[in-house]
Amino acid sequence: MKGRLSLVAAVVAGTALTLAGCGSSGSSGSSGSSGGEEGGSSYRVLVLGGVSAEGVLADNAKTSIVAAKAGAESVNKNGGVLGKKVEVTVVDDGGKPTVAVTKLREALAKDGKPDLVLNSGPSTVAAATLPILKQNNILSMNIGPTEDSFNPSAFPLNFDLSPSAADYAKGFVAHVKEKGYKTVGIIHGSSAFGVTFGKEIEKALTGAGISVVGTEEYDVAALDMTPQLQSLQAKKPDALMMNAYGSPVGYLLKSLQKLQWDVPVVADISVATTGLISSPPPNGVLGTDQVKNLVMEAYGSTVYDPANTRVKEAVDTMAAIDAIPATLVMAYNYDALPLVAAAAQKAGAVDAKALAQALEDPAVHEKAVTAMLPRYNFTAQSHSPNVDENAFVFIAPSTIKNGQYQK
Amino acid sequence: MTLIWGGLALGAVYALVAIGYNIVFISSKTFNFAQAQLMMVGTFVAYTGLVTLRLPVFVVALMAVAAVFLVAAIEERVAIRPVKEPEAVLVTTLGASMLLDGVTQLIWGPQPLTVPFFGSDDVMSLFGGQVYPVEIALILLTVVIVVALSLLARRTLLGLALLGMAEDREAAMLRGVNVRRLAFGAFAFTGALAGLLGLFVGPKTFAVATLGASLALKGFVVVAIGGFGSIPGTLVGGVIVGLVEALAARYLGSEYANISVFAVLVVILMARPSGLFVRTQERTV
Repeated sequence: MKGRLSLVAAVVAGTALTLAGCGSSGSSGSSGSSGGEEGGSSYRVLVLGGVSAEGVLADNAKTSIVAAKAGAESVNKNGGVLGKKVEVTVVDDGGKPTVAVTKLREALAKDGKPDLVLNSGPSTVAAATLPILKQNNILSMNIGPTEDSFNPSAFPLNFDLSPSAADYAKGFVAHVKEKGYKTVGIIHGSSAFGVTFGKEIEKALTGAGISVVGTEEYDVAALDMTPQLQSLQAKKPDALMMNAYGSPVGYLLKSLQKLQWDVPVVADISVATTGLISSPPPNGVLGTDQVKNLVMEAYGSTVYDPANTRVKEAVDTMAAIDAIPATLVMAYNYDALPLVAAAAQKAGAVDAKALAQALEDPAVHEKAVTAMLPRYNFTAQSHSPNVDENAFVFIAPSTIKNGQYQK
Repeated sequence: MTLIWGGLALGAVYALVAIGYNIVFISSKTFNFAQAQLMMVGTFVAYTGLVTLRLPVFVVALMAVAAVFLVAAIEERVAIRPVKEPEAVLVTTLGASMLLDGVTQLIWGPQPLTVPFFGSDDVMSLFGGQVYPVEIALILLTVVIVVALSLLARRTLLGLALLGMAEDREAAMLRGVNVRRLAFGAFAFTGALAGLLGLFVGPKTFAVATLGASLALKGFVVVAIGGFGSIPGTLVGGVIVGLVEALAARYLGSEYANISVFAVLVVILMARPSGLFVRTQERTV
């Protein structure tokens, strides 16, 4: 009997301790977000980035992380987020969604809820982590848009920093019209972004009265794109719209040269992020015949302009923290903290819901001192930047210094 | 014809990977899943020699052969020899492939690197099609290697010992063949060959840390089509895979390129379960 009582006592004690543990875990979650509460002294930002990822993802992640740190430094210099000092913690997710989920859960359990989570792409990581962030009511800003990451009904506390494929398409339409191309062909990769790009650009160009004579997709793991280009060449478009990233950029340019197809090539922002384009031979193709017909879509911030003081300050801050291995196309995270700081001022609070509501206010967009994109236009219906065509420029390849094309 | 040249060149690259698979299969009855990665390392060494160090081609070839020979030898000692079961070797070589992917990225970075071809880089016209000289070189090289290895297997004592070992390891040992040394030699040879091939494959594919993963699966399909252990089979398998992939991408759409390759593989394996060049042997019980 005595033994049984001891057992019951042990179970009760164990249960009590477990519940206490859960309670303390909960409060640690909230104390972890103490930065986010009115009494906390810091505003905690967790940045997910595939530092150990394969391929160009690693350079992109490193740039993205440096950008987040620089954004935090800039905001701290100007008084922080409603007086709270921004503190950045980086978690290496390897660019893999499974790792990102594990590391995020680990960070939430260990350090409690951060006030803001930023990712460094790709979109597969965003797709995997956004449900967890939603479940924990954490404000997030995302540079790897997914099908519904910008949709406030699906993710009310998430804001995409990267323009959508539809935004990029606006830039293409303006450029194609300016150049007077009447017919175009489209070639894009089989990645999620490539497929969306293909659909959106075809829709936008067709809607603008431009005839799309053909759309070809290639496998991003393929080593030769000659068949797809040959198919488009047969349809004789005035210009070729191209999406590619990494080594496929080189395969496409080689195939174009092999086919001796002398056609203007209008490439998307992914091409602009590939190092091959901005390196002269023997390392790359800059200055060769392969890129003589090529222009690439980019943001104004990615082109060096000493007169643009806001971007210059951002670049200087980033460069002082660490090297900038990719182009500024991957530096959206710099803008996250200025946006949050402006939203906090408007809301007079730093809790996630209040900030999300304020981020939909045009007055906040106007006030936010962003650099990578001149203005974000989040609305209650769409948490995508909704930038207009003026946010984009089309540039010929050139060398890159500190993430900027030295045009 | 441009399409055909492209398909044949692509098939040649797959066949070169498949040749490495087959040499290891013949000597060890297992697969080296890191074979494509060895070739990838060869492309990076070629880049370093030709672009970074600006060495003469002959020196770079020796450097690539020596470097990848060494990598393959270490792989054999670490990932093959200590493992007793051939099935487990599949896992350890897969691990080696992932390790090589990571190490190459750490050393050479994530961006694709241009490996210049020591011949001309200008497009040429041949039989009505446009083709890069390196693509012709790849096709010819594949034929030469297949013919040389086939002759080596049939006309030299080393080749016969290898074939004997593949047929019956114990019987070969009883006949005085040092099977461990021969298996090690064959494995390291595939590394040396992969190193040399880096000078030819790199100009076609760039040196990039994702190259191994892109080549591995198609190389395996080539082996399956030609027949496991058949060196001539790799040539035919390479031609089939390269041409089917190119023609399907051109006329059916790229989404059908891989499907068509695997459909052809399934059809061939239904008709010839051991591949085109290997006969199924019935076992007497």
